[in-house]
Amino acid sequence: MSYAGTSKGGTSAILAAEDLIRVERAEAGLDSVDTGQVRALFGASIDRLMGEAGLYDEDTAAAALLQAGGDLPEATHLLRAHRSTLPRLAVSEPIDPDQVQLLRRVVPATREPEGPQLLGNTRDYSARLLRRPGAPDPLPVSDQLRHAQQEQPVALPHPDEPVRRFSAWMRAQDRMVDRVDPTDPEPFDPAYQPVVLPVSRSALLSAMAVAETGGLINMWYRSILGPDGYADEDVTLGDVRHVRAEVRVTHPHTGEPVAIARIRFTDCEAISHLDERGEDPARFDVGYGIALGHNERKTIAMATLDLAAQRYGNGEEGLKLQQLLMMTTDPLASNGFLEHLKLPHYVTFRSQLDRAEAARQEQREHGGGTGLLIGTTGPADIESADTPAGTDREGLPV
Amino acid sequence: MSIDDVLHSAVPPQDRPVVLDEQGQREVRRAILAAIAVPGHQVPFGSREMPVARGWGSGGLQVTVAIGGSQDRIKVIDQGDDQGVNAVNLRRLIAGTLGAETTEDTRDCTITQSRHRIPEQAMTDEQVLVLQVPVSEPLRPVEKSIAACERMHAEADYSRIWVAMYEDLVTGGVVNASSGYPVLVNDRYLMAPSPIPRWDVPRLDQGDRLTILCHGRDKKVYAVPPHTSVRPITFDDVPFEVEYARDQRCIRCGSTDVYLVETREGTYLCSDVEWCARVRTGDVDVAEHERQIPRAYYPDPAKRVRGVGIRLQGRSALGHSEHTGRTAPGEEWALQVTDLVKVFPGRLGSSPVRAVTGVSFDVAPGEALGVIGESGSGKSTMMNCLIGNERATAGTVRLAAVDDGRTNVLDLDDAARRRLRLDVMSVVHQDPAAGLDLRISAGGNIADRLTAAGWRSFWDIRQRAAALLDRVEVPLHRMDDVVGQFSGGMRQRVQIARALATDPEVLLLDEPTTGLDASVAAGVLDLLRELIAEREIAVVVVSHDFQVIQALTDRALVMHRGAVIEQGLTDQLFADPHHAYTQRLVAAAHV
Repeated sequence: MSYAGTSKGGTSAILAAEDLIRVERAEAGLDSVDTGQVRALFGASIDRLMGEAGLYDEDTAAAALLQAGGDLPEATHLLRAHRSTLPRLAVSEPIDPDQVQLLRRVVPATREPEGPQLLGNTRDYSARLLRRPGAPDPLPVSDQLRHAQQEQPVALPHPDEPVRRFSAWMRAQDRMVDRVDPTDPEPFDPAYQPVVLPVSRSALLSAMAVAETGGLINMWYRSILGPDGYADEDVTLGDVRHVRAEVRVTHPHTGEPVAIARIRFTDCEAISHLDERGEDPARFDVGYGIALGHNERKTIAMATLDLAAQRYGNGEEGLKLQQLLMMTTDPLASNGFLEHLKLPHYVTFRSQLDRAEAARQEQREHGGGTGLLIGTTGPADIESADTPAGTDREGLPV
Repeated sequence: MSIDDVLHSAVPPQDRPVVLDEQGQREVRRAILAAIAVPGHQVPFGSREMPVARGWGSGGLQVTVAIGGSQDRIKVIDQGDDQGVNAVNLRRLIAGTLGAETTEDTRDCTITQSRHRIPEQAMTDEQVLVLQVPVSEPLRPVEKSIAACERMHAEADYSRIWVAMYEDLVTGGVVNASSGYPVLVNDRYLMAPSPIPRWDVPRLDQGDRLTILCHGRDKKVYAVPPHTSVRPITFDDVPFEVEYARDQRCIRCGSTDVYLVETREGTYLCSDVEWCARVRTGDVDVAEHERQIPRAYYPDPAKRVRGVGIRLQGRSALGHSEHTGRTAPGEEWALQVTDLVKVFPGRLGSSPVRAVTGVSFDVAPGEALGVIGESGSGKSTMMNCLIGNERATAGTVRLAAVDDGRTNVLDLDDAARRRLRLDVMSVVHQDPAAGLDLRISAGGNIADRLTAAGWRSFWDIRQRAAALLDRVEVPLHRMDDVVGQFSGGMRQRVQIARALATDPEVLLLDEPTTGLDASVAAGVLDLLRELIAEREIAVVVVSHDFQVIQALTDRALVMHRGAVIEQGLTDQLFADPHHAYTQRLVAAAHV
């Protein structure tokens, strides 16, 4: 069936396409799957969705993932569109990212940070060996490995102590450059404000926090093996954290902050030695990444790019980086525009065909030449030394 | 495990997980043998995806499972620590797939796979060290084009590494390269020694063990065979420095001359946990370890460039160039061009152009030849064919300095042409950006030429750069500023100084003053005239401007539509032009 023949045919085609999905799902008995099961099974997808959607609600994200058949950009789209239907009732108090409950924390830059190295929930150190459901562990921990661990407790026992961010320790050692910017007090909201370059740091952070994970990672990786790029290859991570925190709003009657929700988010700091010309090589700089849910890849990429944006500033290269980050990382913009190529384009394509036809007609009638030199036969002959002045064929002034 | 053993590996029994099939293992072993045969050279191989993520040791793991078997004893460390989570994960995987024993005693292992460290315990020629590599390309910090990096390796063209160090030294006083410090292997290949600390770099040199470095993500493997020279890149008179915390010792074992990592209290710990434990039980060979300590490279601020602080002499250090202007045997020329032709073939959108149609001339040492013509006359194309930026269609170009003038330079390959531009032939371009790196200092631009020509003394380079810059009247207090901040005239002076840095025998000036204000151009012309007079150098000056030709040259050719239409002594051409076209050029110069 034609997908756009007439408006009537279009309607039935759309309905039939929707039926295909609905019937397949019903036949597989999936109509009874609830969002709780989706949350339990696909927590990582749910978190990625909440990060890209900029909307924290696990059940809503699970519903979107289910409706989208697991297609993450589609589910992000559902959530962002849903977000447009919600009134904004209040703005929360700022969350102090250090007043949180640690679910996971690693600090690659130091062996012993203040507070724990807490591995938490991660697959980082498990071999990626495909395992069919019910199959035994292909790599059981051998007695020798277990034995070695018991024989040699390597970590110093941890005193129960307050957690201090690694960058704060660096700052206390006077090893950090000062990046406090008093001109950017209110965070930029990309959902409500248009982008006008150059932008503030809060705008870059806001855009990256809801950027498409893969797009942001590629923006970083381009610096690693691409022909150009902005992020420092020689970056070291400070804190990488997955945390839970309370969201507080000011009570409309009492004026006191009250906790209305708890959210999980990931934050990360990327540290770099300031070894470029014009920088202070005795110090380091730090970039920050944050996203809703457990999104380590994204926040690491974000932190390296935030660091790059600070170091490049508003110079020519810095503006290019700002444009890349603000204009090319949004999941709805990039996926939507890519997919619009599937829309009917035969009207505009007909116009291109017309130009190609015209060019072919010209080639047929006037041979392979492409110039407008009427009457010339080939490459210009060399003017001989005794050509009299004033007879120059191309009319050189005399 | 010896190199012979690398060829053989046991097939794992069926009950163990396979992480790399036998074909894949063979591919890795073949690549390793090639890597051993050409020390330090990055050998590409079909790196496969592993059960650990790229960047987490997927390369090292492929090497270990390809060369290892159930008879091996494997040690795995990360940051020098056997019990770090990443080391534990890899050890579990390697032991599980090979069915091999594991050990934490370096003396007892056949293979050590490591990330970021070489064990403090010296390894023997029966042992293999496998280093995981996250970044294999040492030129990446100075060149982002992968094709250009490959060319630089092929031609051993590593001058930009030295230039980057020169720039560090003149701005901060020390070299900023930290871990993964670039090294030269077997005096041939520049290598990224995986990011081991600088402490471990001298310990790579002339070791007994075979070291295999593998970068899974970039699909490269390279090796340092036993008893191979590994030298950190530095200037001859600027000491390479290892990390060293003076008067600090490990708070656990008391060691001082080991690689120490800082704790948050400001105290220090051994990074090599095995070594630290064995020092505490007295189970170490102190005399042997003593031979491994890179004491010669402990930092000494007095030996750093600011500590040495040699006074710059300026142009008085310039002296006179050594060579006296070589000519071909029995001839008077240093440069001879015969019947040079360049045709740009036609394509859709452009018709064929015969840009140079048989140009011949020669130039003697101490002589300056002018080539004058309007824009489009073919003079710039002719110049580009001489420089090597364009391939000539036909003709010969001979240089007395190359094979006594017997070789047609046009027949040389690109690499040989590039080498000619290092010390035989120099160019001053119309646009300074074409001849200079605007992001580095004036001195650094000259250092680029000198290091490419083999200079390795920081202070010689600095004196020479200062002398040249002073001679071209660039104020010495601007020597360490980036050229991008210089005025057009000043940039052109830097470009001229750079072109003369290696005392070339032929100097090509392509519209050297065209982009400059009249008064600035006059100053640059005066300078060029003096510099040419001081030297036994063959000069070709290309310009559309008769005043430039008249100021600088003795003889001149007039080019029009790709051919020479008139030639003679410059003064005579100027006073009595025969061809109508020449008359127009002369008239224009009088305006």
